[in-house]
Amino acid sequence: MSKPEFTYVTYIETTPEKLWQALTDGDFTERYWFAHRAASDWNVGSNYQFTLDGEKRLEGKVLISDPPRKLAYSWNGCSEEVRRERTSRVTFDLEPRGKVVKLTMTHDDLDEAGVTFRGIAEGWPMVLASLKSFLENGQILDIPRPVRAHEAVRA
Amino acid sequence: MSNSTFIYVTYIKTTPERLWSALTSKDFTRQYWLGAYCESDWKPGSPWKLAFDDGRIADAGEIVEADPPRRLVIKWRNEWSPELKAEGYSLCTFEIEAVPGADAEAVKLSVLHNIDRPQSAFIQAVSGGWPRILSNLKSLLETGTVVLPKKA
Repeated sequence: MSKPEFTYVTYIETTPEKLWQALTDGDFTERYWFAHRAASDWNVGSNYQFTLDGEKRLEGKVLISDPPRKLAYSWNGCSEEVRRERTSRVTFDLEPRGKVVKLTMTHDDLDEAGVTFRGIAEGWPMVLASLKSFLENGQILDIPRPVRAHEAVRA
Repeated sequence: MSNSTFIYVTYIKTTPERLWSALTSKDFTRQYWLGAYCESDWKPGSPWKLAFDDGRIADAGEIVEADPPRRLVIKWRNEWSPELKAEGYSLCTFEIEAVPGADAEAVKLSVLHNIDRPQSAFIQAVSGGWPRILSNLKSLLETGTVVLPKKA
Protein backbone atom coordinates (compact mmCIF):
# COMPACT_ATOMS: atom_id res chain seq x y z
CA MET A 1 0.00 0.00 0.00
CA SER A 2 1.35 3.39 -0.90
CA LYS A 3 0.98 6.17 1.64
CA PRO A 4 -1.83 8.62 0.95
CA GLU A 5 -0.97 11.88 -0.72
CA PHE A 6 -2.86 15.06 -1.40
CA THR A 7 -2.29 17.10 -4.54
CA TYR A 8 -3.75 20.50 -5.34
CA VAL A 9 -3.26 22.51 -8.51
CA THR A 10 -4.10 26.17 -8.94
CA TYR A 11 -3.33 28.82 -11.56
CA ILE A 12 -2.38 32.25 -10.28
CA GLU A 13 -1.86 35.46 -12.18
CA THR A 14 1.58 36.39 -10.84
CA THR A 15 5.25 35.71 -11.51
CA PRO A 16 7.23 32.72 -10.21
CA GLU A 17 9.39 35.18 -8.23
CA LYS A 18 6.41 36.76 -6.45
CA LEU A 19 4.88 33.36 -5.78
CA TRP A 20 8.17 32.12 -4.32
CA GLN A 21 8.30 35.14 -2.05
CA ALA A 22 4.69 34.57 -0.98
CA LEU A 23 5.50 30.98 -0.03
CA THR A 24 8.67 31.76 1.92
CA ASP A 25 8.53 35.29 3.36
CA GLY A 26 6.92 35.52 6.80
CA ASP A 27 5.52 39.00 6.11
CA PHE A 28 3.59 37.46 3.22
CA THR A 29 2.55 34.13 4.76
CA GLU A 30 1.19 36.02 7.76
CA ARG A 31 -1.24 37.79 5.42
CA TYR A 32 -2.87 34.84 3.65
CA TRP A 33 -1.89 31.76 5.74
CA PHE A 34 -4.26 32.50 8.59
CA ALA A 35 -1.69 34.57 10.48
CA HIS A 36 1.03 31.90 10.31
CA ARG A 37 4.48 33.36 9.96
CA ALA A 38 7.19 31.43 8.08
CA ALA A 39 10.84 31.73 9.10
CA SER A 40 13.90 30.16 7.49
CA ASP A 41 16.83 31.01 5.25
CA TRP A 42 15.29 28.39 2.88
CA ASN A 43 18.64 26.78 2.12
CA VAL A 44 18.64 23.00 1.70
CA GLY A 45 19.20 21.37 5.09
CA SER A 46 18.12 24.44 7.04
CA ASN A 47 15.29 24.34 9.56
CA TYR A 48 12.10 26.27 8.98
CA GLN A 49 9.12 26.95 11.16
CA PHE A 50 5.69 28.50 11.05
CA THR A 51 4.55 30.38 14.13
CA LEU A 52 1.15 31.66 15.16
CA ASP A 53 1.15 34.51 17.69
CA GLY A 54 4.78 33.63 18.44
CA GLU A 55 3.99 30.00 19.16
CA LYS A 56 5.58 27.32 16.97
CA ARG A 57 2.94 25.35 15.05
CA LEU A 58 4.83 23.64 12.28
CA GLU A 59 8.48 22.81 11.69
CA GLY A 60 10.82 20.79 9.51
CA LYS A 61 13.80 20.91 7.20
CA VAL A 62 14.18 22.35 3.75
CA LEU A 63 14.64 19.43 1.34
CA ILE A 64 14.71 21.16 -2.05
CA SER A 65 15.20 24.85 -2.68
CA ASP A 66 15.40 25.87 -6.32
CA PRO A 67 13.98 29.40 -6.50
CA PRO A 68 11.67 30.22 -8.16
CA ARG A 69 10.83 26.72 -9.42
CA LYS A 70 10.70 24.12 -6.71
CA LEU A 71 10.51 24.08 -2.94
CA ALA A 72 10.14 21.02 -0.72
CA TYR A 73 10.19 20.68 3.05
CA SER A 74 9.53 18.04 5.65
CA TRP A 75 6.44 18.65 7.77
CA ASN A 76 6.07 18.09 11.50
CA GLY A 77 3.05 19.49 13.25
CA CYS A 78 3.75 20.73 16.76
CA SER A 79 0.36 20.17 18.37
CA GLU A 80 -0.12 17.39 20.90
CA GLU A 81 -2.51 15.40 18.71
CA VAL A 82 -0.16 15.08 15.72
CA ARG A 83 3.21 14.96 17.46
CA ARG A 84 3.50 11.16 17.15
CA GLU A 85 2.58 11.00 13.48
CA ARG A 86 5.23 10.36 10.86
CA THR A 87 7.06 13.23 9.25
CA SER A 88 5.37 14.07 5.96
CA ARG A 89 6.61 16.08 3.01
CA VAL A 90 5.35 19.07 1.08
CA THR A 91 6.51 19.94 -2.44
CA PHE A 92 5.64 23.07 -4.42
CA ASP A 93 6.25 23.14 -8.18
CA LEU A 94 6.00 26.55 -9.84
CA GLU A 95 5.65 26.54 -13.63
CA PRO A 96 5.22 29.77 -15.59
CA ARG A 97 2.46 29.51 -18.22
CA GLY A 98 2.14 32.80 -20.06
CA LYS A 99 0.81 35.40 -17.63
CA VAL A 100 0.00 32.84 -14.95
CA VAL A 101 1.92 30.41 -12.80
CA LYS A 102 0.73 26.84 -12.41
CA LEU A 103 1.26 25.92 -8.78
CA THR A 104 1.21 22.23 -7.90
CA MET A 105 1.30 21.38 -4.20
CA THR A 106 1.90 17.76 -3.27
CA HIS A 107 1.73 16.62 0.35
CA ASP A 108 2.87 13.00 0.71
CA ASP A 109 4.40 10.48 3.12
CA LEU A 110 1.33 10.94 5.29
CA ASP A 111 0.02 8.57 7.95
CA GLU A 112 -2.91 6.72 6.48
CA ALA A 113 -5.35 7.15 9.34
CA GLY A 114 -3.71 10.23 10.77
CA VAL A 115 -5.20 13.48 11.97
CA THR A 116 -2.69 15.30 9.75
CA PHE A 117 -4.04 13.76 6.55
CA ARG A 118 -7.61 14.77 7.35
CA GLY A 119 -6.48 18.20 8.44
CA ILE A 120 -4.35 19.05 5.42
CA ALA A 121 -7.02 17.88 2.97
CA GLU A 122 -9.31 20.52 4.52
CA GLY A 123 -6.61 23.10 5.01
CA TRP A 124 -4.71 23.28 1.73
CA PRO A 125 -7.69 24.40 -0.39
CA MET A 126 -8.26 27.25 2.09
CA VAL A 127 -4.64 28.34 2.22
CA LEU A 128 -4.09 28.11 -1.55
CA ALA A 129 -7.40 29.84 -2.38
CA SER A 130 -6.39 32.59 0.03
CA LEU A 131 -2.91 32.78 -1.56
CA LYS A 132 -4.43 33.14 -5.05
CA SER A 133 -6.73 35.95 -3.92
CA PHE A 134 -3.85 37.64 -2.09
CA LEU A 135 -1.61 37.67 -5.16
CA GLU A 136 -4.33 38.61 -7.63
CA ASN A 137 -6.39 41.11 -5.60
CA GLY A 138 -4.08 42.07 -2.79
CA GLN A 139 -6.88 40.94 -0.52
CA ILE A 140 -7.18 37.73 1.39
CA LEU A 141 -10.32 35.68 1.70
CA ASP A 142 -12.37 36.39 4.75
CA ILE A 143 -12.52 32.85 6.06
CA PRO A 144 -12.42 32.42 9.82
CA ARG A 145 -9.49 30.48 11.16
CA PRO A 146 -10.62 26.90 11.64
CA VAL A 147 -11.32 26.08 15.25
CA ARG A 148 -9.10 23.04 15.51
CA ALA A 149 -5.40 23.44 14.99
CA HIS A 150 -4.97 20.76 12.35
CA GLU A 151 -7.77 22.05 10.17
CA ALA A 152 -5.81 25.03 8.90
CA VAL A 153 -2.82 23.11 7.62
CA ARG A 154 -1.04 23.87 10.80
CA ALA A 155 -1.14 20.22 11.80
CA MET B 1 -12.36 -0.02 -5.30
CA SER B 2 -14.34 0.08 -8.50
CA ASN B 3 -14.76 3.77 -9.16
CA SER B 4 -12.71 6.85 -10.01
CA THR B 5 -13.21 10.20 -8.33
CA PHE B 6 -11.83 13.70 -8.61
CA ILE B 7 -12.50 16.21 -5.86
CA TYR B 8 -11.63 19.91 -5.90
CA VAL B 9 -12.48 22.47 -3.26
CA THR B 10 -11.98 26.20 -3.55
CA TYR B 11 -13.04 29.33 -1.71
CA ILE B 12 -14.31 32.35 -3.61
CA LYS B 13 -15.12 35.88 -2.55
CA THR B 14 -18.73 35.97 -3.79
CA THR B 15 -22.25 34.98 -2.72
CA PRO B 16 -23.90 31.57 -3.23
CA GLU B 17 -26.40 33.23 -5.60
CA ARG B 18 -23.71 34.81 -7.77
CA LEU B 19 -21.76 31.55 -7.86
CA TRP B 20 -24.88 29.60 -8.85
CA SER B 21 -25.50 32.06 -11.63
CA ALA B 22 -21.85 31.80 -12.74
CA LEU B 23 -22.20 28.02 -13.02
CA THR B 24 -25.51 28.07 -14.88
CA SER B 25 -25.56 31.18 -17.10
CA LYS B 26 -24.56 30.29 -20.65
CA ASP B 27 -23.00 33.68 -21.32
CA PHE B 28 -21.12 33.67 -18.05
CA THR B 29 -19.76 30.12 -18.47
CA ARG B 30 -18.48 31.16 -21.91
CA GLN B 31 -16.16 33.64 -20.19
CA TYR B 32 -14.23 31.16 -18.05
CA TRP B 33 -14.75 27.73 -19.64
CA LEU B 34 -11.66 28.00 -21.90
CA GLY B 35 -13.45 28.13 -25.23
CA ALA B 36 -16.67 26.33 -24.34
CA TYR B 37 -19.99 27.05 -22.63
CA CYS B 38 -22.64 25.16 -20.65
CA GLU B 39 -26.31 25.15 -21.60
CA SER B 40 -29.42 23.78 -19.91
CA ASP B 41 -32.64 25.03 -18.33
CA TRP B 42 -31.18 23.50 -15.14
CA LYS B 43 -34.30 21.60 -14.13
CA PRO B 44 -34.06 17.97 -12.99
CA GLY B 45 -34.47 15.68 -15.99
CA SER B 46 -33.60 18.38 -18.52
CA PRO B 47 -30.81 17.93 -21.05
CA TRP B 48 -27.45 19.54 -20.34
CA LYS B 49 -24.58 20.19 -22.71
CA LEU B 50 -21.07 21.56 -22.75
CA ALA B 51 -20.38 22.91 -26.24
CA PHE B 52 -17.33 24.43 -27.86
CA ASP B 53 -17.68 28.06 -28.96
CA ASP B 54 -18.26 26.89 -32.57
CA GLY B 55 -21.26 24.82 -31.44
CA ARG B 56 -19.72 21.33 -31.52
CA ILE B 57 -20.78 19.24 -28.52
CA ALA B 58 -17.98 18.42 -26.12
CA ASP B 59 -19.97 16.73 -23.35
CA ALA B 60 -23.66 16.07 -22.76
CA GLY B 61 -26.06 14.57 -20.27
CA GLU B 62 -28.88 15.66 -18.01
CA ILE B 63 -29.60 17.47 -14.80
CA VAL B 64 -30.10 15.03 -11.93
CA GLU B 65 -30.56 17.49 -9.07
CA ALA B 66 -30.83 21.27 -8.95
CA ASP B 67 -31.26 23.03 -5.64
CA PRO B 68 -30.24 26.66 -6.24
CA PRO B 69 -28.02 28.07 -4.85
CA ARG B 70 -26.76 25.03 -2.96
CA ARG B 71 -26.42 21.84 -4.95
CA LEU B 72 -26.28 20.78 -8.58
CA VAL B 73 -25.80 17.23 -9.90
CA ILE B 74 -25.20 16.54 -13.59
CA LYS B 75 -25.16 13.18 -15.38
CA TRP B 76 -22.26 13.80 -17.71
CA ARG B 77 -20.66 11.98 -20.64
CA ASN B 78 -17.92 13.00 -23.01
CA GLU B 79 -19.15 13.13 -26.62
CA TRP B 80 -16.13 14.02 -28.76
CA SER B 81 -13.56 11.38 -27.82
CA PRO B 82 -14.62 7.80 -28.70
CA GLU B 83 -12.39 6.45 -25.94
CA LEU B 84 -13.88 8.70 -23.26
CA LYS B 85 -17.44 8.34 -24.55
CA ALA B 86 -17.12 4.56 -24.26
CA GLU B 87 -16.65 4.94 -20.51
CA GLY B 88 -20.28 6.01 -20.21
CA TYR B 89 -21.86 8.45 -17.81
CA SER B 90 -20.18 10.12 -14.89
CA LEU B 91 -21.82 12.12 -12.14
CA CYS B 92 -20.65 15.62 -11.31
CA THR B 93 -21.80 17.21 -8.06
CA PHE B 94 -21.36 20.89 -7.20
CA GLU B 95 -21.90 21.97 -3.60
CA ILE B 96 -22.02 25.63 -2.65
CA GLU B 97 -21.80 26.71 0.98
CA ALA B 98 -21.52 30.16 2.48
CA VAL B 99 -18.57 29.98 4.86
CA PRO B 100 -19.95 30.19 8.39
CA GLY B 101 -18.45 32.92 10.53
CA ALA B 102 -17.02 34.91 7.63
CA ASP B 103 -17.58 38.65 8.10
CA ALA B 104 -17.70 39.36 4.40
CA GLU B 105 -18.72 37.23 1.44
CA ALA B 106 -16.91 33.92 1.14
CA VAL B 107 -18.24 30.77 -0.47
CA LYS B 108 -16.88 27.24 -0.41
CA LEU B 109 -17.30 25.43 -3.73
CA SER B 110 -16.79 21.67 -3.85
CA VAL B 111 -16.76 19.78 -7.14
CA LEU B 112 -16.92 16.00 -6.97
CA HIS B 113 -16.69 14.17 -10.28
CA ASN B 114 -17.17 10.42 -10.13
CA ILE B 115 -17.52 7.51 -12.54
CA ASP B 116 -18.33 3.94 -11.73
CA ARG B 117 -15.21 2.32 -13.17
CA PRO B 118 -11.59 2.00 -12.03
CA GLN B 119 -8.70 3.97 -13.56
CA SER B 120 -10.98 6.08 -15.70
CA ALA B 121 -9.35 8.04 -18.53
CA PHE B 122 -12.30 10.43 -18.37
CA ILE B 123 -11.68 11.25 -14.70
CA GLN B 124 -7.98 11.58 -15.52
CA ALA B 125 -8.92 14.13 -18.19
CA VAL B 126 -11.24 16.19 -15.98
CA SER B 127 -8.60 16.14 -13.19
CA GLY B 128 -6.47 18.33 -15.43
CA GLY B 129 -9.36 20.51 -16.56
CA TRP B 130 -11.14 21.37 -13.32
CA PRO B 131 -8.22 23.20 -11.67
CA ARG B 132 -7.93 25.43 -14.78
CA ILE B 133 -11.63 26.13 -15.05
CA LEU B 134 -12.15 26.72 -11.35
CA SER B 135 -9.04 28.92 -11.10
CA ASN B 136 -10.46 30.97 -13.98
CA LEU B 137 -13.91 31.15 -12.36
CA LYS B 138 -12.48 32.28 -9.02
CA SER B 139 -10.46 35.05 -10.68
CA LEU B 140 -13.41 36.15 -12.81
CA LEU B 141 -15.70 36.47 -9.81
CA GLU B 142 -13.09 38.20 -7.64
CA THR B 143 -11.31 40.47 -10.09
CA GLY B 144 -13.64 40.66 -13.10
CA THR B 145 -11.12 39.05 -15.45
CA VAL B 146 -10.06 35.52 -16.25
CA VAL B 147 -6.42 34.45 -15.99
CA LEU B 148 -6.23 31.65 -18.56
CA PRO B 149 -6.65 32.14 -22.31
CA LYS B 150 -9.20 30.27 -24.40
CA LYS B 151 -7.78 27.21 -26.07
CA ALA B 152 -6.75 27.78 -29.67
